[in-house]
Amino acid sequence: MVDADLLKGLPPAEAERVLALGKRILLTAGAELFHLGDAADSLYLVARGRIRLTLPMQVRNREEDILVEELSSGQTAGWSALIPPHRFTLTAMAPLETETIALPREALNAYFAAHPDTGYAVSLNVASVIGQRLQLFQAMWLREIQRMVELRGA
Amino acid sequence: MEMLLMGVALSMFGLAVSCLAFGAATREEPATELATEKEAVKAAVANARFFAAAPALPVAARNRVPIEALLLQIENHVRLEQAAATCFLESPSATLLHSRTISTLVN
Repeated sequence: MVDADLLKGLPPAEAERVLALGKRILLTAGAELFHLGDAADSLYLVARGRIRLTLPMQVRNREEDILVEELSSGQTAGWSALIPPHRFTLTAMAPLETETIALPREALNAYFAAHPDTGYAVSLNVASVIGQRLQLFQAMWLREIQRMVELRGA
Repeated sequence: MEMLLMGVALSMFGLAVSCLAFGAATREEPATELATEKEAVKAAVANARFFAAAPALPVAARNRVPIEALLLQIENHVRLEQAAATCFLESPSATLLHSRTISTLVN
């Protein structure tokens, strides 16, 4: 787990110290890690398995959870824990048995205050995760708009 | 006698007018004009189909597709779009941004 995207650039021993702040959570297949709108108090690293991030969509008058992104080992879920207003903007569930490491915001903030170099490196990694997702969804959004324009024959 | 002749003359005149009117109504149009009109109608229909992309299915027909299949189509579409967006981010260009999808949800 020391090569997780959140811990890139940290010396292995320092990465281990950050991981030691967390708690391992084992999810059975179909279990929910967090729900849209819940208070976001922890950041999660996927240690093993998969995490499906979904958003609700009305399909034939039924609310269905539609896949937005699927995370695998080494990836980070729930960065809303570090960004105000600290509410999850997606629902996360495990499609198969999955293990995550929950890193509480308070523990991270306290550690980063005492170790600013580590805080800086992790903050850059969080910014990278957020930036990649923003760019990805920006491109996906534009492709959908392009299709709408073509369908309307404009 | 004069009255009789006048009646016959008016009848003949009426018959002639009727024949002319019938002839005008049933006359065939020139072949070139007809062909042009048919082509225009054909083109209009073809354009309408092109812009519509796919004829809209009645609600009942759409509902015949099992919802599980529809949800799989949506998920497959999202995965394909993410893959296309990832390709674009690795090598940004207008061509990759607007690459065609094989997603059955939109084709």
